[in-house]
Amino acid sequence: MDLGDGGYRMKAWILRSLRKGIVTTKFPAGKNEAVSPWSTIPVYRSGDRNPYCPSSAIKDGSVTHGSCISCGMCFPNFEPSMDVHTSQSGKVIRELGKSIKIYAIDSGSCGACNLEIMSLSSPQYDGTRLGITFTNTPRQADALMISGVLTEGMREALLRAYDSMAEPRAVFATGACAISGGILGKSVSTILNTDVIVPGCPPDPFVIIDSIQKLRGRQ
Amino acid sequence: MSQPARIFLDDGEGTTLSRFSETPVHGPVESNPAGNVESSIHPVGTKLTLFPYGPSTGGLVESVYFDILTYGEKIENVSYDHTFKNRSIRVTGLTPREGLLRLERLNGVHSASYSTLFCDAAERAAGLDIPEEVKLARVAMMELERISSHLFVASRLTGGASQNIAHMNILLIRENLLRIIAARFGHRYFFGTNKPGGLARSVDLDGIDSDIEKISEEYGEILNTLLDSRIFIDRLDRTAIIAGEESAGPAMRACGISVDGRQFHPYYKDLSFRCVTWGGGDSLSRFIVRSHEIAESARLIRQVTSKVLRIRESSEDFPPVNDSQAGGFMETPSGDASIILRFKENRISRFSLASPSQYNMRAFSRSMKGNTFADFLFGFESLGIWISEMGDIA
Ligand code: SF4
Ligand code: SF4
Repeated sequence: MDLGDGGYRMKAWILRSLRKGIVTTKFPAGKNEAVSPWSTIPVYRSGDRNPYCPSSAIKDGSVTHGSCISCGMCFPNFEPSMDVHTSQSGKVIRELGKSIKIYAIDSGSCGACNLEIMSLSSPQYDGTRLGITFTNTPRQADALMISGVLTEGMREALLRAYDSMAEPRAVFATGACAISGGILGKSVSTILNTDVIVPGCPPDPFVIIDSIQKLRGRQ
Repeated sequence: MSQPARIFLDDGEGTTLSRFSETPVHGPVESNPAGNVESSIHPVGTKLTLFPYGPSTGGLVESVYFDILTYGEKIENVSYDHTFKNRSIRVTGLTPREGLLRLERLNGVHSASYSTLFCDAAERAAGLDIPEEVKLARVAMMELERISSHLFVASRLTGGASQNIAHMNILLIRENLLRIIAARFGHRYFFGTNKPGGLARSVDLDGIDSDIEKISEEYGEILNTLLDSRIFIDRLDRTAIIAGEESAGPAMRACGISVDGRQFHPYYKDLSFRCVTWGGGDSLSRFIVRSHEIAESARLIRQVTSKVLRIRESSEDFPPVNDSQAGGFMETPSGDASIILRFKENRISRFSLASPSQYNMRAFSRSMKGNTFADFLFGFESLGIWISEMGDIA
């Protein structure tokens, strides 16, 4: 039999991939299998309660989530919380419970936040099982997921993307840059109301999933 | 055989650094092709159509704007503007540690390379000789990053060509790799791992070589399948052909130029790897070079683990550095980057950087004439261009 286009090898290989078994997480119903330690918000451990923090995120033993740039410089006084539930949503849109279409927009990122958002398409996360998909146009989007600081060049594109979305709609500030400006610039909240903040530099994919569930009232 | 262009980095005050050199010199610059490219949009004639693309579109990973001028099916000219997301990062006036935080976030996807480039130059400016095992740990970080970055490019190409099974399997192994990196280095993108003078956290590499070997083997199987697929090959073959001389990294090596910054870098002096080259200069050649480089990186990681397994964080303070300067280069996954770094009273007093995406973007724009619209994204993605590192930093 001629399978064409590398057929035999392809077939053997597909079978091998199937044998790998289920790789997709059960999160959020189950526990997250992994996490990027320092991308989680640090918690107080011992000693000085106000150690040096380059983004002034620490005050008296606690950390302002949106300002933490995941640098680890507060160690050993602080350590990673390993908590993936640190996002906050200012609103709940239950209509998006079954399906949410996201438009990801880079307002001035280093690239890492963009890739973590895209990670939701990896088999380990498989956003589609939760009805999470990405769209190529803001007109079809329910949510704008912004990464990066607010740059002058992207100001108009950001506002235009937001204006072209239908209600109900939501804005995610993804990562320290978008939430607070981090150490590199201005927060996107200076021009848009952000409904959901997703802390971390960059936020771990599990934190991003959790934040989407919070918006949908499904956590 | 062609040679890479004589590219210089100029700090604007008469100090220059030639490619693959660590010694800045005082002297004139012959040419600096890494500078910004002026847009040169053709006048729109009756048969020419101008497609604006960007700055934000779901089809691209980062924000960047293109003017694509077409003549029927064919592209006549592509000009670009990478400044939409320009963050104007400032490092002058900062301490070495504060400067490092910015370098890590210049291109977060290549943070290990940029942080090592910065730390290495700062250490030499301070006259600090760091332990060999720290250099090896940094090599391991950079090679893991290279694999991750190359897998990402491969995922973009396979996704764009609707090679869904290969695409999903590449995403799967890249995510596995990121989890391995997080478990070993405390962060999926190595933020906070490096510090001027050494490492900021202890690193345990025991067993990582076999984990990476497995990833490399799995990718090898995917690669074999892809190279059997006429559909995939046809998408990439003879598209976006570049002349290698003014490009960097895998893009340059895919033009048959056997040059890799790691061949000249002291960190790699006792390590061996094959400088992967391919002919053709097209998207397919770049894909093949990156694919084979994954196996070479796995080999380098094995060599590192044969020399050192546990590297302790450096607890010493970085020494005061005054009136001193150093240059440096590093082969990032997209090609060689160079910096000139000057210190006064423990602060960065002057900083200049050239990134590979500056060269490769220009090469991309030149390569597009005569290609079809459908070739555009494959050409762009195959170059592994990162807009973040094209922004100004001083
Ligand atoms: S990780 Fe860095 S930014 Fe976050 S609280 Fe600690 S010192 Fe501050
Ligand atoms: S928050 Fe961190 S990872 Fe995200 S764009 Fe900013 S610097 Fe990059």
